[in-house]
Amino acid sequence: MIRAVNLKKIYKMGEIEVPALRGVSLDIPDGDYVAIEGPSGSGKSTLLNMIGCLDRPTSGNVFIDDVDTSKLNDTELAKIRREKIGFIFQMFNLIPTLNALENVSLPMMFYGSSRGKRAKRAEELLKIVGLADRANHKPSELSGGEQQRVAIARALANDPPVIFGDEPTGNLDTESGKGIMNFLEKLNKKGETLIIVTHDPEIAARAHRSIRMRDGTLKA
Amino acid sequence: MFYDSLLLAYRNIRERKFRSFLTLLGIAVGIAAIISLIAVGYGMQYSITEELIGMADIISVMPGRQIIPGMGGYAETITERDIEDIERIAGVEDVGPWMYGTAQVEYRKERTPVTIISGDTQDLEEMYATYAEFEDGRWIYEGDHRGCTIGYSVAHEYFDEDIGINDRLIINGEKFVVVGVLEKAGMMASADLDPNIFLTIRAAQEVLGTKDIYMLTVRISDIDRADDIGEEIEETLDQNHNMDDFAQAMTMSSMIEQIGTVFLILQAVLVGIASIALIVGSIGIMNSMLMSVMERTHEIGIMKAIGATNSNIILLFLTEAGMISLVGGILGCILGTITATLVSIGVSFYIGMEMPAIITPEVMIGSLSVAILVGVISGLYPARRAAKMSPVEAVRYG
Repeated sequence: MIRAVNLKKIYKMGEIEVPALRGVSLDIPDGDYVAIEGPSGSGKSTLLNMIGCLDRPTSGNVFIDDVDTSKLNDTELAKIRREKIGFIFQMFNLIPTLNALENVSLPMMFYGSSRGKRAKRAEELLKIVGLADRANHKPSELSGGEQQRVAIARALANDPPVIFGDEPTGNLDTESGKGIMNFLEKLNKKGETLIIVTHDPEIAARAHRSIRMRDGTLKA
Repeated sequence: MFYDSLLLAYRNIRERKFRSFLTLLGIAVGIAAIISLIAVGYGMQYSITEELIGMADIISVMPGRQIIPGMGGYAETITERDIEDIERIAGVEDVGPWMYGTAQVEYRKERTPVTIISGDTQDLEEMYATYAEFEDGRWIYEGDHRGCTIGYSVAHEYFDEDIGINDRLIINGEKFVVVGVLEKAGMMASADLDPNIFLTIRAAQEVLGTKDIYMLTVRISDIDRADDIGEEIEETLDQNHNMDDFAQAMTMSSMIEQIGTVFLILQAVLVGIASIALIVGSIGIMNSMLMSVMERTHEIGIMKAIGATNSNIILLFLTEAGMISLVGGILGCILGTITATLVSIGVSFYIGMEMPAIITPEVMIGSLSVAILVGVISGLYPARRAAKMSPVEAVRYG
């Protein structure tokens, strides 16, 4: 359960204050599949970063499972990101020096799982995303679709209840994009909460509900 | 997590092989400088102390207040009576007087002033035998009142024609026969040997026209009582001359102590100089780590986004800095040992006296600890900077 209450975010560009969110409130119950739509600059990524605990709002509160994240320190916030949230980025954002298996293991390393457990779970996850045979490849040796599937496996590593996707298909061809979305939806059917930022109306249409943003506010 | 950070750090270092190597070299040079300077310093101290311990049964006695011509002062010197009195002190085996002076020396119509050194012939031989071999001939005997032994420079540099044994010299008007010519001495003893003519005490008294004794060497039977005997000698001489501190008796142990202090200062200065190299190396680490943080801002953001805490990130960067400096430290130890060994071989050869490179485990361990400490401290600022970045800013970067 994610709840945002009157979120505001103001970026300072030198002397000028640029409001990115102007008071956004929303509830996302467990197991929901939400698309956040809007043109670039509408604040949809900013909203995702706030409720995904990657950034702190200027004012307002984000509750994750009834915990007020504005009261948490950096370490506690990191724990939330590690255990409750899986993040998928448009640019995949894998660590280039690590192979697929190690990339998937990384969140478990920060979690403190044993090496044996990590390797086993990472192999399992790579099998689930269909990349068991690519475990030892570095990101540069994988296609875009493959990299994104590694990123999904990584997001699932600590078995978080919520997956955030910031334009997860934005850098993929249509075919790979469809594969990724199918896979994410399968996760949602198993009970995973799915929150996707997109400006692709086709993807937005597949979600249970769609939130539209414009100039830092929600459009009903 | 620690083992994992080792692995990740290793990957990152390998990814930037050349730069990591240069950074590591900076630390290595610093550590090598420290190790080799300390090793050479210890070696020097060791060989000089060894030399002095070899003479531990000797106390040297000099008038404590030096006579400054024209400034008043004490014109008294050690006398025959002093020698007799010292000989009576329990534990004293033998007292050897030493005289120094300058005399006009004439050889085949050519004249030049030369320093005369004179003492008991046995003492002369013992004092100098280790430093130089004979080119020809021998040391003067006690009965050689008309014989002299001459240094290398006197024989070959002071006069147009070389001097050999059985050649005749006129020293302050007295005729002498050369009984021995020394070879060139090593650097340590060269000033004591090469430019001098050695005479018996009796001959020196005649030639120099004085009975003034410059210094005494007192041989004792019991080394453990050296300090007590030294004090007794001082008291006896002070009484004889009716002065508070006329004489100064110097035992080898007090000399070794004094030299120890000098070496401590020397070591401190050397280490200070070497530290500069280390500081430069640590600036190198900091610079390299800062660059690494900048380059990996994006990566740090990703790690934080997927749940890394600030301390996770700090650990990663500190491990990397620590690893570079540890390897640098080890390399530095090896380089330092090689340098010290080469220097000691070179110096031993040059001064003609064995001077080992002394590298103790403490110095090794100490240097390695310093290397790691320097690395970690230099890595701390970049690591904290990395950790403090907001994940979303960092992810967006690059």
